[in-house]
Amino acid sequence: MNAVTTAARAKDRAPGLGARALRALVTQRLVLLVTLLVGLVVVMKLLERGGYLVASYSSDYLAASLIDAVPLGLLGLGQLVVIVSGRGGIDLSVGSMVSVSGMLFGFAIGEWGWPLVPAVLFALLSGGLLGAINGFFVSAMGFPALITTLATYYAYSSIALVVNDSSPISTGPIQDLTWLTRPVELPMFGQYVPDFPMGIFLFAIPVIVLLWLNVTRGTYGRQLYAIGTNDTAGRFAGVPVGSVRFRAYLVSGMVSGLVAVVTVSQFASARPDAGTAGNGMALPAITIAVLGGVAITGGVGRVVGVVVAAVLVVWLNAGILLSFEGSEGSQYQLLALGGVLIFAAILNGVTTRRYGGTS
Amino acid sequence: MTTTAPAPARSTMPLLSGRVTGQELVLLGVITLLWLALGVSTDTFIQAGTLSNLAYNVAPIALVGIGMTVVIVCGGIDVSVGSAVTVVTVIVAKLVRDQGVSLPVAVVVAVGVGALLGLVNGVLISVGRVHAIIITFGTLNVFRFVALRIFDSEQVAGVPGTLAVLGGGQTGETLHVPHAFVVMLLLAGAMWWYMRNTAGGRHLYAMGGDRLAARLAGVKVQRREVLAYVLTGVLVGLASCVVIGGGGLIGQNVGVGLELQVIAAVVIGGTSIMGGRGTVLGTVLGALLVGTVASGVTILHWPSQLTSLFVGVFILVAVGTDVVRERSRRRA
Repeated sequence: MNAVTTAARAKDRAPGLGARALRALVTQRLVLLVTLLVGLVVVMKLLERGGYLVASYSSDYLAASLIDAVPLGLLGLGQLVVIVSGRGGIDLSVGSMVSVSGMLFGFAIGEWGWPLVPAVLFALLSGGLLGAINGFFVSAMGFPALITTLATYYAYSSIALVVNDSSPISTGPIQDLTWLTRPVELPMFGQYVPDFPMGIFLFAIPVIVLLWLNVTRGTYGRQLYAIGTNDTAGRFAGVPVGSVRFRAYLVSGMVSGLVAVVTVSQFASARPDAGTAGNGMALPAITIAVLGGVAITGGVGRVVGVVVAAVLVVWLNAGILLSFEGSEGSQYQLLALGGVLIFAAILNGVTTRRYGGTS
Repeated sequence: MTTTAPAPARSTMPLLSGRVTGQELVLLGVITLLWLALGVSTDTFIQAGTLSNLAYNVAPIALVGIGMTVVIVCGGIDVSVGSAVTVVTVIVAKLVRDQGVSLPVAVVVAVGVGALLGLVNGVLISVGRVHAIIITFGTLNVFRFVALRIFDSEQVAGVPGTLAVLGGGQTGETLHVPHAFVVMLLLAGAMWWYMRNTAGGRHLYAMGGDRLAARLAGVKVQRREVLAYVLTGVLVGLASCVVIGGGGLIGQNVGVGLELQVIAAVVIGGTSIMGGRGTVLGTVLGALLVGTVASGVTILHWPSQLTSLFVGVFILVAVGTDVVRERSRRRA
């Protein structure tokens, strides 16, 4: 109601370019994120010109740091699917799922001598199974997602630690996997652009494209947004609510399995606490999703937004790392992550009330 | 109506009837069974040393759990308590070590800083009108940053025993009962009474059951919400004092992951994560159960990582019984 009248009034007054730009900036998350991204690069370049950085904020550095965006962005996309599915959807267990799948992947490659492709499929499957357990409790039993995934966070993290007596697996075959994530020179026009990490092409782009097709072009996406917006309405419209929600958690689990492969090859070792050390992987993933414009209440969120948000956070982190000497940088990264999240959330709230929703 | 928290339990014990919910009785039973089983199968569990250690370990989780129960009952959540404990702990530990402040001053500072952090959460959530989990995820990171800056890249070593009265050692106990545990029980009892028997306490349930209806009925929803987070902050301050009292060395990872343990205790205690239902008594029992499991796993010489597996299973079982009970109540 209010939104309609505001929009109508705005149209009557025929606002100028500035007003429209401001409106796009605060109501369209993608515009805001891209503006922030450009602003970040400009500021960092200026700082570099002024000699405030410990190393160059070059395009090579930015391209190489994108490997950190792969796990972060993929898990953020997993959260997107789960949160959009609605009814308090959230997945706190992704870090533990990464740990378990990573250990199983490590066993397959490093101890049982499996070839790469079956081992990756094995990691995907194990992640999918763990996600299916979450999905079963949430969709079939009607447990609140926050509590279910808190419980499975505990259970899975325990399994990951017990399975190999808390020690990592880093045998020869695993150490040979680092090519999966190392920067490579692109064929044909490779000398004109910086070297991008292999993981982007192997893991990130396929998942992004697949998810984007499913969520925006397929039936599944329509059903997902439908039940996320209104569970009951979805049921009356003939959407198989339980199955759609179940599959959201399944996707989150499979994405975690894939992220496990990325982290194992990145660190040349399958660590039992890969996804749970410190504050774990779930928090940054949820942060990325919310920053990318996913509404925690469900039914709203875009794949592109999450991807850009992941790149923004990773480049911001990379810039912060260059601005400080020693370990101070990693501390300021926490401040930046928290500050950006609160800023985005409050902006979301304000724009929803003032302009009637972000897109 | 889902807001009538301590539903009249069809208890066979007339004394407890109506005062204790089903979940609490079940918990009490499970804890008793575990204690009996551990007492029979090991000869070290039923010992003053083990039990007082258990009580001391449970105290900080249950203390923060009291506040978390209030926050969750009125429809919110606070995942930043772990980082808040880190902040308060490092500030007070440094004050005690470098300035040599006395016990009362240390406690007042701890409570004050904790309340301030809670106020930040409460104001951002209430005024910003953003979902609590998002804001507290954000402040989790920000608080951790603040704590790490104060730590200044090293542990706080050699903290004098000013706060040992609240700690787990000899000075922190009377007749093998840790003072921290007694303080926790007193506060939990007071809060339990407040939430059950006063209008203000009932308002908390009303807010969690239906925020809009509560506001229309005249509950000052925003103010109560902020106060709930401030209360949690105050309890975070007390819990930090207990942590500092425990030992002379404060590592940089103090408090990390505490929020999950606290939420686990609250949920196992039968508080509904959707708000409107739950008691402080249940939370204390939930914390005791988690502590018992951890202690039991240690005594049985099982790998200590198994504790989290059991905690996870207990959470699922607790939520399962809650969901089943809620369904049967709605059908009735």
